[in-house]
Amino acid sequence: MQQTYIVDSANAPWKRSSSEGITFACQVLLSGEDGGPEALRFRFDDCPSVYGHMHLTSQFQLLLGGAMDFPRGVKHLEALAIHYTDHNIPYGPFAVSGGHDMLVLHPKAGGIIAMSNLDARRKINLGGRIFAALATEAAWQPLPGVAEGTFKLLMPPDYGPAAVIVKAPAHAALAMPAAEFGRYEVVLDGSAIMEGREIGAPGFRYTRGENAAEPLLTGAHGASVAFLTFDRDVLAGGITGEALAVEAAEAMARAI
Amino acid sequence: MTAENQKPTTPFRVAVFADFVCPYSFLAVEQIDRLAREYGVEPMWRPHWLHPDTPPEGSPRERTPDADAKAERRNAWLKEMAPDQYARMRYPGKRQYSFLAFEALEFACDHGRDFAFKTAVYDLMWTEGGDIGEPETLMAAGERAGLDPAEMQIALHERLYAERALAAVNQAREIGITSTPTIFLGRTRINGWTYYEVMQQVMEKQGMHPREALAS
Repeated sequence: MQQTYIVDSANAPWKRSSSEGITFACQVLLSGEDGGPEALRFRFDDCPSVYGHMHLTSQFQLLLGGAMDFPRGVKHLEALAIHYTDHNIPYGPFAVSGGHDMLVLHPKAGGIIAMSNLDARRKINLGGRIFAALATEAAWQPLPGVAEGTFKLLMPPDYGPAAVIVKAPAHAALAMPAAEFGRYEVVLDGSAIMEGREIGAPGFRYTRGENAAEPLLTGAHGASVAFLTFDRDVLAGGITGEALAVEAAEAMARAI
Repeated sequence: MTAENQKPTTPFRVAVFADFVCPYSFLAVEQIDRLAREYGVEPMWRPHWLHPDTPPEGSPRERTPDADAKAERRNAWLKEMAPDQYARMRYPGKRQYSFLAFEALEFACDHGRDFAFKTAVYDLMWTEGGDIGEPETLMAAGERAGLDPAEMQIALHERLYAERALAAVNQAREIGITSTPTIFLGRTRINGWTYYEVMQQVMEKQGMHPREALAS
């Protein structure tokens, strides 16, 4: 079954909220309630420690503004950056600062569960992957087939999930292969025409299915677009009937 | 007892590469001690030297707005990760020199008391304000671990274990240790601090079960 969702983030309402004492503003861009993808945008208030937690599905975080600092792994992320986790991979605690703004992109509803929950710790995906990278650390390369177009890889090519940023001048067609496990195509700069709609930053299209989606067409001022593609990990986890999943779903509902 | 629950004939290897000056390694001490008690394993504690540039007398902590912000974050993270231990922690006023403690660890190893010794060193440094760059602190840790402090004093003064400690530090580097702590549980390597429940899962996936469960 082919899935396509187009979201114009600029027109989604903001809501102030908090979770475990951490305050933020958020937009619910895709709810996941129909079994499709779940996409949220968060702007955390500066905070030295957002509690360690995990989601029950694969996740791309796209840091659009500000910084995030972690005690382990890639310790400092500054926009523009990505952070990827497989389902049930905990991350944090982490600090947020400097005008934080982030898209949280799931292939399906993933809930949220704090790692203070001992049951959650027993459900950690031991073989799961976690990856983070700053866009500034990747080099631009010429984009085949698009004059003056460039791209950069934010994840190693054979990693599994993929993250690519493409920059193209006006009226360029950006074609991508089919996304069997789902792909977010996020406008970072300029605008792109998606299925006849012009979407600005940080709007996006989500596509999943056996057929390639219609190419994005860059707008009159060109565009930078992040293509964030999931792999088989999306088939695992999710909001099942298990007690932990129910708790995770309820926690997410309370937070947003 | 089922075949799955039988203890393997070769000892299950648990090794931790860590630096005494790393607060996240301090958090791992209680976990590894618990693992030893619950699973009947004998973990090895090996050195991973985080700051070889620190002089023997230690180096003062940076006091800039950026350094203060980093310290605020680190304290908040430690509190979140292990609230009980955080409540006992006294963060040292300077970055301490580790290498002498690595030499003392080798001495303790030769006397079969390394496991108890490392716990005493961490406790002295992280909860009692001791300076592990000072031989007296290490001797006090040795005494707690059942070692002869006078014998340790001679070993440290004569630098009898310096070469071995350096070889151990180099070994950690050669096998690509970059995080402290790095924990090997059998075939599984865990980079950085993790939850005890993760260690339990890793042990059990490799056929290791808590002694209590085996007894029942």
